[in-house]
Amino acid sequence: MFINLLTGAIVIGGIYGLIGLGYSLIYRASGLMSFAQGDLLMIGAFIGLTLFKTMGLPYAVSVAISFLLMFLLGIALEKFAIRPILNKGGKAINVVLITIGISIVLQNIAVVTFSADVQMFPSIFKSAGLNVGGFIVSPESILSICVALVCMVLLHLFMAKTRLGTAMRAAAQDETAASAYGVNVSLVKGLTWGIATALAGIAGLLIGPVYGVYSSMGTSIGLKGFAAAVIGGYGDMYGAILGGFALGMIETFAGGYISSQAKEFVVFLVLILFLVVKPSGFFNAKIIED
Amino acid sequence: MKVQRNQSKLKLRPMALLLVIAVVLILPQVIKSTYFMLVLCLCGIYTIATAGLDINFGYAGQISLGHAAFYAIGAYGSAILSKLAGINPWITMLLASAFAAVVGFLFALPISKLKFMFLSLVTTGFGEIVYQIIVNFWPDITGSTSGFKGIPKLGIAGFVFKDRHDYAYIVIFCTILFLLAKYCIVNSRIGRAFIAIRESAEAAGAMGINVTYYKAMSFSISAFYTAFAGALYGHMVGFISPETFKRPQSIMLLTMALLGGRGTMLGPVIGSLILVVLTESVQMFGQYQQLIYGFFIIIVVLFMPGGLAGVLASAKAAAQNLRIGGNADAVGDQ
Repeated sequence: MFINLLTGAIVIGGIYGLIGLGYSLIYRASGLMSFAQGDLLMIGAFIGLTLFKTMGLPYAVSVAISFLLMFLLGIALEKFAIRPILNKGGKAINVVLITIGISIVLQNIAVVTFSADVQMFPSIFKSAGLNVGGFIVSPESILSICVALVCMVLLHLFMAKTRLGTAMRAAAQDETAASAYGVNVSLVKGLTWGIATALAGIAGLLIGPVYGVYSSMGTSIGLKGFAAAVIGGYGDMYGAILGGFALGMIETFAGGYISSQAKEFVVFLVLILFLVVKPSGFFNAKIIED
Repeated sequence: MKVQRNQSKLKLRPMALLLVIAVVLILPQVIKSTYFMLVLCLCGIYTIATAGLDINFGYAGQISLGHAAFYAIGAYGSAILSKLAGINPWITMLLASAFAAVVGFLFALPISKLKFMFLSLVTTGFGEIVYQIIVNFWPDITGSTSGFKGIPKLGIAGFVFKDRHDYAYIVIFCTILFLLAKYCIVNSRIGRAFIAIRESAEAAGAMGINVTYYKAMSFSISAFYTAFAGALYGHMVGFISPETFKRPQSIMLLTMALLGGRGTMLGPVIGSLILVVLTESVQMFGQYQQLIYGFFIIIVVLFMPGGLAGVLASAKAAAQNLRIGGNADAVGDQ
C-alpha cells in the first residue's frame, strides 16, 4: 500500500510541480498571476487525446504536436488577452480576472465539444508495468514521473545556460534594464507565457493516461498547483517543483491514511495556512507587502 | 501610476428613485405569474449578495473568489438554527449573517497583508474549505450532499409568507434596506477609507488609516450582506444543497459585480438582473451558462472595465457634453 501511495504521490507531485512552475514563471517574468494553468492542462490533455486516440498518431508525436500547439496558444493568450489590458493601463487585478474568464471558457468549450465524461487514453505501452516491492507500477506513471523530471531539468538548463533563458531572467528582474541591454522584452514575455502554457499542456498529457481525461480535471489541479507554488515560494521555480512534490505527498498520504474526503480539505487547509503563516513559502519569495 | 478614468457616477435623482421603488412594490400585486415573482426574488437576493461583494471588491479593492462560502454560511446557518433549534427565522437570518460577519472579520485579519493576487488564491481556498466542511463535517446536521430540507418559512404575527408573491415583499424590502445601508456606508468615513485602501494601501496607511482593521471590516460587512442573501434564499426555496455553494456560485457573484459595474450603487442591481434573467432563459443549456459567464468576464475586462453602469454613466456624460456643445474632454482625465 505504501509503495502504491508513494508512486501516486510522486506522479501527482510532478504534475503539481509542472503547473506550479508555470505559475511561478509567469509571476517571475511579469508579476502577474494566471488562473488559467489548470484548464490549459486540460486542453493539452484533450489535444493529446485527440491526436493519439482519434487520429492514431504515435504517442511521442502527439506529445510533440501538443507541445507546439500549447506553446502557440500561450503566446496568443499573452498577445491578445493580457497585453491589451496592460497597454490600456489596466490594473493587474484585471489580468487575474481575465485569466479566470479564460479558464471558465476553456473548461466549458471542452464540455461542449467533448462532453463531460471521463475519456480514457488507450494504452501507450505494451508492458504491464514495473514490479516494485510487490506492487505493479503502471508504465504511464513511470513515464509521468520521468518526463516531469526531464522537463524541470531542461527548463533549468534553458533558463540558466542559454542566452534566451538568461534574457528571460533579465527581463523578469528588470524590464527597463533588460531592454537597455538589447533584450526584446515583448518577445520574451510572449515566450514566458508560451512556455508556461506548454508546460501545462505536457502535464495534461502526462496525467491524462494515468487518471483519464475529463473537462473538469484542470480546476482542482490548477488550484493545487497554486498551493505548490506558494509552498515553495511563489515565483521561485525550484520552489515550485519542491512544493509540488511536497503537496503530492501530503495529499496522497492524507488520502491514504485518513480518508479520501480529507484529501481535499487538507490540501486547501495547507494552502491557507501557508498564505496566512508563511506566505513566502520555503524559499522566502517576497510576495507579502501590499 | 495612471490616473483612473473618471467615470461620472450614475446618480438617479430622488424622484426617479422613488418612482422605481413604487413600481417594484406594485409588481407583486399586478403580476400573477409565480415564475416572474421567483425571478424577481432571485434578482433581489443576488443584488444583496453582489452588493456585499461589491463593497469588498469594488470599494475596498479586495478580490474575493470564495464569496459563495458566506452565501452558504448564511443559508445553512439560518436553516439549521431555525429548523433544528426552533428559533424564529427572522432572528436566525440575522444570527447567521452576524456569524458570517465574524468569520469574515477573523479570516481577513491575518491575510490583510497579502497582495491582492494572493488574496484571490486564499479566498478560493476559503470557498473550497467551507464547501468541504458542509459536505464532510457533521453530515447529520447539514445533510451533506443530500441537502437540507424543510427550511421553515418566514412569518409575522401569525401570517406566514407562503408563496412567491408574499415572499417578494420581504425580498424587495430587504433589498432596498441593504442598498440604502450600502449607500450610507460608502459615502461615510468608512467608505472613504475603503476607497483610499483600494487606490493605495500604502498611502492610506500613511494618512493614518488603520488598513488592517478597515480591510477586515470590509470583509466583515461584505460577508454579512452575502450571508443574509443566502439566508433569504434558503427560506425562500425551503431546500438547499451544497451544489449551490461551489465555485461557480462565487464566479457568478463576481461576474455580476463586474458586469454591472464594480464600485457603483447601480452595478450590483444591473449585474444581478442581467445574469438572473439570462440564467433563467438559458435553463436548458446548463453548460452554456458557465461559458457565457466566462465570456462576459473576458469582454467586460477587455472592453468595459467599469461594467454596464460605467457604460451608462459615460453615455450620460457624453450626452450632456453634446448638449452643452462644449469640449468632449469633460469626461476624460484632467
